[in-house]
Amino acid sequence: MNGPLIVQSDKTLLLEVDHEQAEACRRAIAPFAELERAPEHIHTYRVTPLGLWNARAAGHDAEQVVDALVEYSRYPVPHALLVDVAETMARYGRLTLAKHPTHGLVLTTTDRPVLEEILRSKKVQPLVGARLDADSVAVHPSERGQIKQTLLKLGWPAEDLAGYVDGEAHRIDLAEDGWALRPYQKQAVDGFWHGGSGVVVLPCGAGKTLVGAGAMAQAKATTLILVTNTVSARQWKHELVKRTSLTEDEIGEYSGTKKEIRPVTIATYQVLTTKRKGVYPHLELFDSRDWGLIVYDEVHLLPAPVFKFTADLQARRRLGLTATLVREDGRESDVFSLIGPKRFDAPWKEIEAQGYIAPADCVEVRVNLTDSERLAYATAETEEKYRFCATTATKRKVTEALVKKFAGQQTLVIGQYIDQLDELGEHLDAPVIKGETSNAQREKLFDAFRNGEISVLVVSKVANFSIDLPEATVAIQVSGTFGSRQEEAQRLGRVLRPKADGHQAHFYSVVARDTIDQDFAAHRQRFLAEQGYAYRIVDADELLAGS
Amino acid sequence: MGTGERNREAHVPEGSGGAAAPRTLAEALRARGDDGLAALLRARPDLLSPVPNDLTQLATRAGTRASVVRALERLDRFALQTAEALAVAPDPAPYEVLLGLLTGDEGDATIEAALPRAVELLREQALVWGDDERLRLVRTARELLAPSPQHPSPTGLGPTVAEATSGMSPTRLQEIIATAGLGSTHDPVSAVTVLTELFTDRRRMGELLDTAPSDALTVLDRLVWGPPYGEVTANPAPPVRWLRDRGLLLPASPRTVVLPREVALHLRAGRAHRTPEPLPPAVAELRTYRPQVVDSAAAGQAHRALATVEELLREWNEGGPAVLRAGGLSVRDLKRTATALDLSEPETAFWVELAYGAGLLASDGEADERYAPTPDADTWLELPPATRWARLATAWLTATRTPGLVGGQDAKGRALSALGPELDRGVAPEVRHRVLTLQGTLTPGTSADPESVLARLQWDRPLRGTAQSGADLRARIATWTLTEAEHLGITGRGALSTHARVLLGLDTTGPTAPVAPLTPAELTARAALAAEAIAPLLPEPVDHVLLQADLTAVAPGPLERPLAEMLAVLADVESKGGATVYRFTAASVRRALDAGQTASDLHAFLAAHSRTPVPQPLAYLVDDVARKHGHLRIGAASAYVRCDDDAVLGEILADKRSATLRLRRLAPTVLAAQTDPATLLEGLRSMGYAPAGESAEGDVLITRAHAHRTPPRSAPAPVPDGPPTPDATLLGAAVRAIRAGDLASTVERKEAPQAPPHAPGELPRTSPADTLATVQAAAMTGSAIWIGYVNADGAASQRVIAPVRVEGGFVTAYDHTADEVRTYPLHRITGVAELADGAV
Repeated sequence: MNGPLIVQSDKTLLLEVDHEQAEACRRAIAPFAELERAPEHIHTYRVTPLGLWNARAAGHDAEQVVDALVEYSRYPVPHALLVDVAETMARYGRLTLAKHPTHGLVLTTTDRPVLEEILRSKKVQPLVGARLDADSVAVHPSERGQIKQTLLKLGWPAEDLAGYVDGEAHRIDLAEDGWALRPYQKQAVDGFWHGGSGVVVLPCGAGKTLVGAGAMAQAKATTLILVTNTVSARQWKHELVKRTSLTEDEIGEYSGTKKEIRPVTIATYQVLTTKRKGVYPHLELFDSRDWGLIVYDEVHLLPAPVFKFTADLQARRRLGLTATLVREDGRESDVFSLIGPKRFDAPWKEIEAQGYIAPADCVEVRVNLTDSERLAYATAETEEKYRFCATTATKRKVTEALVKKFAGQQTLVIGQYIDQLDELGEHLDAPVIKGETSNAQREKLFDAFRNGEISVLVVSKVANFSIDLPEATVAIQVSGTFGSRQEEAQRLGRVLRPKADGHQAHFYSVVARDTIDQDFAAHRQRFLAEQGYAYRIVDADELLAGS
Repeated sequence: MGTGERNREAHVPEGSGGAAAPRTLAEALRARGDDGLAALLRARPDLLSPVPNDLTQLATRAGTRASVVRALERLDRFALQTAEALAVAPDPAPYEVLLGLLTGDEGDATIEAALPRAVELLREQALVWGDDERLRLVRTARELLAPSPQHPSPTGLGPTVAEATSGMSPTRLQEIIATAGLGSTHDPVSAVTVLTELFTDRRRMGELLDTAPSDALTVLDRLVWGPPYGEVTANPAPPVRWLRDRGLLLPASPRTVVLPREVALHLRAGRAHRTPEPLPPAVAELRTYRPQVVDSAAAGQAHRALATVEELLREWNEGGPAVLRAGGLSVRDLKRTATALDLSEPETAFWVELAYGAGLLASDGEADERYAPTPDADTWLELPPATRWARLATAWLTATRTPGLVGGQDAKGRALSALGPELDRGVAPEVRHRVLTLQGTLTPGTSADPESVLARLQWDRPLRGTAQSGADLRARIATWTLTEAEHLGITGRGALSTHARVLLGLDTTGPTAPVAPLTPAELTARAALAAEAIAPLLPEPVDHVLLQADLTAVAPGPLERPLAEMLAVLADVESKGGATVYRFTAASVRRALDAGQTASDLHAFLAAHSRTPVPQPLAYLVDDVARKHGHLRIGAASAYVRCDDDAVLGEILADKRSATLRLRRLAPTVLAAQTDPATLLEGLRSMGYAPAGESAEGDVLITRAHAHRTPPRSAPAPVPDGPPTPDATLLGAAVRAIRAGDLASTVERKEAPQAPPHAPGELPRTSPADTLATVQAAAMTGSAIWIGYVNADGAASQRVIAPVRVEGGFVTAYDHTADEVRTYPLHRITGVAELADGAV
């Protein structure tokens, strides 16, 4: 009766992390509960139908779930919740999708009324073929993803026993010379491989590329890698050549400029979703080879059309990689149903404790607007308000003071608005990277920053993802894409790569007080706060006075 | 049946039995001990109101239709089947015949063992009387249960040969017995007798049926288990004709035939019922847990029950929803409350009704009537948790209100609303008690299979379901009981908890046979014991919270009340359950400041109650809101905005959103508004300011919740179904009174010297039975009689009347004394005497 877990009536589980049994409890509930928040004392997990079904798919039964809840719970677990868990889990597996020698793909049931119920749904009707007998119905093989997604929404998840195609074999090995996969990376690769398909969630800077490489080395098959932009594509290629047995010639780039198809092909989302005359001309890339593995980088950014293509790829292994599976459009469940369930997730602070990412000091600097600025803010049009308060002159002063304070350390200044960034670049005498900067110029500047030739770099949101800046120690955020939580996490990720001397990273967010900037900042910080990054708040006046 | 006929059963001797055998029900009752009478009155408390004068009256009342129907409805299935079998048996029937009807020709040991109990039960309830040689079913019961064309018997048997042939021509009857292979007889009565003898002789009957065409047997098969009536055409098919010619089917009307009872019994091998159910279906075990698991689960639910009721009271603290004109809570208000409590609507209805039933909520009775907590609710809140729970549990056990009906419709199609009228169902406490005690028959820690509980309830009262409105009311109440018991923590994981066993007066260590419901006094005593049992299981209140940097606070258990109240103001509840998760927002901190707290109060409060250091962002939030709080002040009198910082006022005036407030600058630091202060306050808040109200003296107004209470209210009394079960004292007194009255009316008197009947001033005295007989005789002959009469005020008088009609306990007569036609209740007539000829 004194366990570390408290079960709430809204199906959240509160885990007291300082409790002696906390670790054992975490292991017991991890298979079926989603970690939702991980601040310093109490972690919150949530029990969802999807989580319960994934647990069933992984071979856990309702009895185990109930036992885990009852064993570690401090207070009696509400009976209704236990019943609900058992009932939800019992819904899984009544329908199975399996290969059939003559009909291709067949949906079979062990519970006839369920089949009747789902066949009456208008959403299912177009996806199925002929009724084979009372308990089974043919499914168009191309609709495997669609039907799984639809059945999930109807609350009758199908167990997919149809398996995966091996794809065209291609030898890929990890070149572990002088380095090795970190334990958690290995766990992530194993978790993914045993599950077949799914999503791996790791903090920025924790080496997601290597998880991708590890998965490829397991699959030993031709691989299609989808990334966000060209710079990121080049980095993947660079990293793969360095870490695996693959050579430059085996890796192709499929982007706006190059259209190479090689055993390992790296394509950008942008080129795939380019539409000409109402069709997607680059879609055939998916069919151009018999891919054995498809890797989705930054899966939280997966554009909507790619969801649709992915539905058709259910017979191939799929690996999604991300740091933050929060989508502001709320389509997390589509990611889970089409790419696969979450196979590995590590709280940021845990990786930090293992020393694989740098500890960070997060500070929100509150800037007071001057009287004239306040008046101007009050009279601004609603749609202009954020831009106005996010780019106030006072912020510039604070930014300058911060850059001065950390003089000599590699510092990134990140912002949303080009005017503001140009102005900052001018005052700080630092180069600015923005959308119009050419790729060649970008790589040149990144190299210079890496080598320490320049120590301050001003970047717009184009640099949000997948740029590798190993020695950035300070990031100063002056404005952002409104309240985007994952952008905040990505930006913090810029400074989390472990430092050579192991010292702390600094993340500053400059915010205008009493404006919507402050509201957006609160929203942006929520994800990180829930991951245990406690923001300190300081007044700009103190900071200016102290420097 | 007329009154006279029924009364004959009560007092006119029938037949010539042995000296010891009672000749009437009244005699049978008279022969009983006091215990036997008390048992009858306990089982049929309706006989007690008013207390009968003597045993004759008691027997008469026990034979009235209303009372018999009531008694039959309360029989269990086997007792009812026994009564049904008696109804189709000869009257009187020996025990052996009855047994034969139930077991059939093969015999059945189980039934043989169960029958004495059933007969004894029927005897105790005065539905059956007479010794084992001649068992008699009370005539009204026989009428209710025996087959008749209007309402078929539950046994599916038809009328006897004698009954079915009563209107038949003697010639036709002779034809039938001739075809059946019997010699002709000289009169119809003997013809019926030989036919009956043939049908009841298994061997001869078997031989007769062996000669039947197979189609005829199929026809019999269709009718054998009832209904025994079949339609025929004017010219029936040969098999039917074959049967009809031999009397195996007898005409019931021109187009229907009936299967005589004797034939059906032969085909059924003597059984009156297809499936006799001598034993109650067992309550099946579903799962067994350790009793500790059950108790702690139940205690967890009990804790949740308390939290829910408290939350409901808090929700309605400042005056709850309005009372509908027809009484009760509107659907919208129920929905709103459900949303506020984060529960489903049926469950919300349950908690609302529970709080009402426990006297914690009531209507305030004002002009615009609203629901609100009663003063008693405040007292209740101060009690220890275990006592609070016991109070809810006892209120639930005895309540006749059934929240499960909410959302349904009454007989007239009107929606039934929570807290509304029409929710009282008299059977509810009995069913609830029965369901719980049935669960108590299992080993502690074992949950019962709900289906088997329902089957058992159906066996207990087979007639009850159909007699009441709502065909399955008992079953529905039973189902609700199971859910409600779980909500309330009476059961845990579906098994009866130890504290519930204590509350019900059951053995806590092993299976307990069902016990009778407790009296209110016993229940109060039990409630205290149950509270003691549950107290150690309820979670201890905690005095601290864990504050986290994501601006949440987690209370890892129920909080002490003052702490919980303060936190509820200072933060928003995000998640409830064993623990509570609070989230601090600018709005919630402002609410605390509005309630009169200062920033330093809040810092001190957080520091005092946090196990961990107060996170910097939280401290900053408090300071930041406090910094702005009260920065702007608004007057109510003229609706002004005052601020020391004239830039702020300029800012407000420049803001387009302030246009609707119609602000005007009065002085550099004061703005006046044309809107009322509340709108102004909202307007400025929506613009992102934190204005504070200001009183006439210039102080900050403190907005705090005002509690709203009803006038003192007592909990609604349960509305029981029929009179309450009398307690031992009342029973004893009643039995003594009846005995005394009976003695007075039946004692052998010495032949008193024949006093002149109209001795001046003295009322004539005769027994009620004699009175009735005399009055009836006078009504028939049209003669006048002399009566002693006591009117409603107790004044005695003597009158001479000529009875016209005697019915329903009243005499309608021409009153010679008053010279008009009047009606007199029979029970007010003390005595009668015939008048000397020619007196009138």
